[in-house]
Amino acid sequence: MNPFAPGPEEGPPGPRNRRTPKAPSKPGAAESRHTRLPDRRTTRRPAGHRTRQRAERFTLIALLALPLCIALAGPFLPIPTGDRTQPFDPAAPWPGTDYLGSSVLDGLLDGGWGIVVTAAAATLLAYLIGLPIGLAAAATRHRWLDEILMRPFDLLLALPSLLLMLLLASIAPPTAWMLVLIVAIVNLPDIARIVRAAALEVAHRPAMEALWLQGEGWWRTAIGYIGRSILPTVAADAGVRLVGAFYLVAAASFLGVGAGPEASDWAVMVDVNRGGIFLSPWGVVLPAAMLVALSVGLNLLFDRLLSRRDRA
Amino acid sequence: MLAYAARRAGLGALQVLAVAVLAFALVELLPGDAAVALAGDQPDPAVIERIRKQMRLDEPALTRLGDWLGGLLTGDFGASLVSGRPVADILTAALEPTLILAGLTMILLLPLSIGLGVAAARHRGRWPDRLITTFSVGLYSVPEFALAVLLVSVFAIGLAWLPPTAVGVPSLLAEPAVLVLPLLVLLARPICSIARLVRAGMIETLDSEYIAHIRRAGVSERRVVFAHALPNAVSPATAQIARTADWLLGGVIVVESVFVIPGLGTALVDAVNARDLPVVQGIAVVFGATTVIVNLAADLVAFRLAPRLEVAR
Repeated sequence: MNPFAPGPEEGPPGPRNRRTPKAPSKPGAAESRHTRLPDRRTTRRPAGHRTRQRAERFTLIALLALPLCIALAGPFLPIPTGDRTQPFDPAAPWPGTDYLGSSVLDGLLDGGWGIVVTAAAATLLAYLIGLPIGLAAAATRHRWLDEILMRPFDLLLALPSLLLMLLLASIAPPTAWMLVLIVAIVNLPDIARIVRAAALEVAHRPAMEALWLQGEGWWRTAIGYIGRSILPTVAADAGVRLVGAFYLVAAASFLGVGAGPEASDWAVMVDVNRGGIFLSPWGVVLPAAMLVALSVGLNLLFDRLLSRRDRA
Repeated sequence: MLAYAARRAGLGALQVLAVAVLAFALVELLPGDAAVALAGDQPDPAVIERIRKQMRLDEPALTRLGDWLGGLLTGDFGASLVSGRPVADILTAALEPTLILAGLTMILLLPLSIGLGVAAARHRGRWPDRLITTFSVGLYSVPEFALAVLLVSVFAIGLAWLPPTAVGVPSLLAEPAVLVLPLLVLLARPICSIARLVRAGMIETLDSEYIAHIRRAGVSERRVVFAHALPNAVSPATAQIARTADWLLGGVIVVESVFVIPGLGTALVDAVNARDLPVVQGIAVVFGATTVIVNLAADLVAFRLAPRLEVAR
């Protein structure tokens, strides 16, 4: 399960939370040695804090910018395609040639677009389906509707996501759109559960009862109030989902399922050039490094956004 | 505890049944005539007829479902469409390498991730914590195959310390050097998520009132951390530990493919590419049942550690 997701147990403060406040109101000298106060940590900023923060930000931008620029702008750069030479030619100019004999650089420039766009489209599609389901399950007053909507996802969650993807790919025709659909389906249960958990908390606020007593319709309460209130949670979760979709798309491409046989992206490059890793390692190392950099960069970025939101 | 365990086991049995039905439904979900779809790009009438006969596609779906479920109980998974071998034979032949990989990963995973999480929590805000946190956030969902080929090109090709693949190795345990890189790749992702959760749980526990009280009583710091704080700090992480079974099985598929290890993952990928549906179904049931059982065990452990939490509905 997603560690950032608000768990169902995070309800209103129970009796246990009320009895034990986070910090004693008037800490004595002996007590403060053991009970660390949260506000003391945040006010004390160590020297060099700002330079370190700047260094972190710079690393993050560097990690993200290079693969993203190549992925999004690469296919549109007016670089002439070089002639094909020998496969895995050690004498070719850096970074060498791939298994067909064309330059690794060409493949690298063209190979990011597909993965990034497929992952983004799959995340979007999963939200378009999962958000209404989660909202409806939380906002409804009929328990059976909630059960019907959410129970099937419990079963889907019992299967490893990569296995579910392979199963669906084993019966689906291999096209790019099918891959988008499959990744969206795999992501759907988590999204619906998180939306439902977030919306349930909102749906039990006094404001909701006030809206009900005023006679507001379902649209205004479910979409206007609940939908808007859970937006920050959903936005934070979308980042996590995007990274997950990116992982699934890359793994599917690498295993040769989902996308068609003529597709060529970074993951496919890693797969097909593996045979020549001793002759021309750059054909494998460069696309793999792009994938790792993009994934690590996205993770760090969304984590920063998330922790900034929590602090505010 | 017993009532909870019984309820939870019932849910688990239901899930396994659902996985089996879902695997069976794959055939029904095939677009058009299943036999034609399975026969490949150039369908040969003889092949179509053979597949139809072998999978008994003429009979009603409900009878076949009953036979399929009954066969699962007796260990009869059907036969491969490609080689004609019984699926159960293929499964048992491929089981050993996968079990070795997954088992060793699980054995290494718990002490390493809990140790890292506790270390980060005890040095909160200082460099060990920053290092562990940054790494565990960054590596959280790195594609395994990309990490694997990077490690291979550095340690197997650049430095030539370790073998790049497991080709030609009779048994994985006979040559432990083969296992080093696959295990590193398999561990990377679960360690990150569990270490983060243990760190968060540990920080919260160490700040709590009862730990302050135990410290005032003069109990040694080691006992405070490991005997009193750890059980409470780990219980939120147990659900995630179960979730790693999911990742581990997914990771095993990729890692076996990269390092050319003839396990269940390789068998699954080959079967999917060859549209050998009976093998796909058999492996899906084995993987699904494993995930359900691991989840069940983790929920029971979490319940035992912290009975006040209702772990599953």
